[in-house]
Amino acid sequence: MSSPCQPHEHALSRRRMLGMLGGTAGFGSLLQPAIAREVVKQNKQVCLIWLDGGMSQYESWHPLPESQFAGPFRSIKTSIPGVHFSELMPHSAKIAHKISVIRSMSTKDPNHSTGVPRMQRGDPVNRGVDYPYLGSAVAKLLGPANPELPPYIWIKPGNGGFIHREAGFLGAQYGALALGDGQAPIHIHRPDAISAQHDEARHALRKKANERFKAYRGAAEIDAYETSYEMAQQLMARKDIFDDGKLNPRDRERYGTHPLGRHILRARGLLEAGVRFVKVNSYHWDTHGDNFNMSQRLVPQIDRPFAALVNDLDESGMLENVLVVVMSEFGRTPVINSRLGRDHWPDCWSLALAGCGIKRGAMVGATSKDGAWVEGTGYDVGDLFHTIFTVLGIHPRRTNYRHQGQKLAIAHDECRPIEEVML
Amino acid sequence: MPAHRGGDVVNRPALDIKAAWMSRELKHDRQLYRAQFSPDGRLVAAAGQDRLVHLWNLASEEPAPKSFDAHRTWISSLVFHPTEKLLFTADHHGIIYCWDYDTEMPGQPRWSIPEADRNNVRALLVTHDGQHLVSAGDDAIVKVWSTVDGRPVTQLKGHKDCVFSLAVSPDGNHLVSGDLLGSIRQWNIADSWKPARELDARLLHTRGDDFLADVGGVRSLAFRADGQVLAAGGMKEAKSNAFCPGKPTVLAFDWATGVVKNELRIMGKSDGPFNALRFLEDGTLVGHTEILHSNSELTFWQIDQVAPLHSLVSPPAYDLSLHPDGRQLLAACYVSGGSSGNGAQKRFKDNYVPNKSTLRIFSLFAKPTTEEKKTG
Repeated sequence: MSSPCQPHEHALSRRRMLGMLGGTAGFGSLLQPAIAREVVKQNKQVCLIWLDGGMSQYESWHPLPESQFAGPFRSIKTSIPGVHFSELMPHSAKIAHKISVIRSMSTKDPNHSTGVPRMQRGDPVNRGVDYPYLGSAVAKLLGPANPELPPYIWIKPGNGGFIHREAGFLGAQYGALALGDGQAPIHIHRPDAISAQHDEARHALRKKANERFKAYRGAAEIDAYETSYEMAQQLMARKDIFDDGKLNPRDRERYGTHPLGRHILRARGLLEAGVRFVKVNSYHWDTHGDNFNMSQRLVPQIDRPFAALVNDLDESGMLENVLVVVMSEFGRTPVINSRLGRDHWPDCWSLALAGCGIKRGAMVGATSKDGAWVEGTGYDVGDLFHTIFTVLGIHPRRTNYRHQGQKLAIAHDECRPIEEVML
Repeated sequence: MPAHRGGDVVNRPALDIKAAWMSRELKHDRQLYRAQFSPDGRLVAAAGQDRLVHLWNLASEEPAPKSFDAHRTWISSLVFHPTEKLLFTADHHGIIYCWDYDTEMPGQPRWSIPEADRNNVRALLVTHDGQHLVSAGDDAIVKVWSTVDGRPVTQLKGHKDCVFSLAVSPDGNHLVSGDLLGSIRQWNIADSWKPARELDARLLHTRGDDFLADVGGVRSLAFRADGQVLAAGGMKEAKSNAFCPGKPTVLAFDWATGVVKNELRIMGKSDGPFNALRFLEDGTLVGHTEILHSNSELTFWQIDQVAPLHSLVSPPAYDLSLHPDGRQLLAACYVSGGSSGNGAQKRFKDNYVPNKSTLRIFSLFAKPTTEEKKTG
């Protein structure tokens, strides 16, 4: 079994934390500073929005209309003087002062099959182990923000399930509970014909059988099954999270009725309920063909709900503690191909961050005039992971995993936090 | 014995599709998406990414285009006036310009329409009588303007999504417009542009369950000279909204009944839509497709046969124009600049350039022998 070098013996239970906060207008002046820091740390949450395939930086965060590689769309002013986004992002343009954009990402992998895991694992130095994806890493390093809910939920199109592979060497229990189309896991409702007492007995029998099985065979899959059952039980107690009838119709409109809009709205609900890490996936951004017609239709599908989420978290005060990341495995080529598409471009691309110790209104990174190349400092995904861990209160150098006696860095040893985007 | 003089083919030879050959190339260092012969056949106008309207004089041995500069984004459409020396161009920002092109030095546009569309004007057409300019694009409204001054004449509403293509019937009485969703709408020009009927080309539209967007659409329309057939080009069965690969397809409609008579396919490999179609004087239909990182083909059909009559390997192309002599085709083709493909990792850093174009002129008759060229 592996464990972080800074285990969670000191972690606060939700009840204890709420008890401490009860009757106070705020915890800053009433709690011991160390405990207050711990409370803040416990509250840190993440929403990773993953646009699978690669969104074009020219058609989103970095339009460069005078570049020889520019697309046909207008660039528009943002809420930050002198900063422009593509006209396909009018809502994000209005909240530019609340977010940071890194326009000088320079990563190494131009392929999807290797690039996606490499990016979501932070591309650490190869030490012969399967590193966890970011969601599993945060679930391990911070634990659940709300012990009544799974720490890592993945909203994705298609089917759901328990995706233990994302946990890598951490072990199956740190895998992602995937919600297909953002819906509650099937069979979340206990049939009326089964009493609570019988249900409890069934679970006890299952656990006993699993333990017996584990005694003689590999444990990973059993751990995964066990974890998924426990998560299902947790969610059965919180069916209210999935009650779409409680959603404000205005919110549905603000986020959009397309899958990504619905899924980001669901993510907001999960964050409000206290899920530590929510990943939202959208597929089919790999616009090798008809990039401009497709970007015209796809980019607004992230623009609207991303801006709505940031605004909502900001208005509720949650943005102080919730980190929102919008990214892909790479950007898209400056050169426009024969099908009016753009191919894969890890050399110079953009992503957006907001909240949780991220500066408001920082536009980071210089590029060549045509946007093809980073000028000056380029940032790799290892730098991004150092940044994310740092703003979550996890020291990326002092914190390590320990796996089978081996001490493993949580992020690439040679990378560092991107100070320009951090408060 | 045929020969090219200033763009015309003199001693007009017999049409011979199977002997068609590429007789000339005009190269350009940026991608061009639209190219048309002028009505007198002596000029070629082309435009695309570099925002300039380029005009080549085909009489010149080494033609360097003169360029008209007003657009501030990619040019998406262009069309010549049939009788006046006027050229109309439109762009992705919804602006239309009218140019006096028969000038020594390119000047300012004669007039402009600043908000012809919410975004992209995807198609332009001038009616046979030269009185009306028709535009269509992203806002799904077909708009009719005066060619004299750009004054609005009327708006034709009914499409539910962006309009890609326009054509007018040979008798000049009917306009058709084709949209993303596979709807072709007929408008009666002679009766105050009233809507007449809708033809079903939904085969050219795909929206898979997991798609994030509609793919395809009626990308091209063309009437046969006898007015009995309308061809609609695009692609069917798109596999995704990412690569957007589909099966290039032409639907041949019987104009009288509005029923699809035939579904035309291509011989070779290609995965993009037919962006342009042209009928030759003998009723042969010709179209050109796109493909990713490979050669495509120029395809000829007799529309009563599914399989093509003939095809020529050619780079991906975005537009076709038929010379007024009926013996030459112009194709706006893609040429790789050498920097294509996934992820540079700095291998191109010192020479990373945009892709290019070649305007290919295909002669639709047997290639003259050396002796014929001398005497021609």
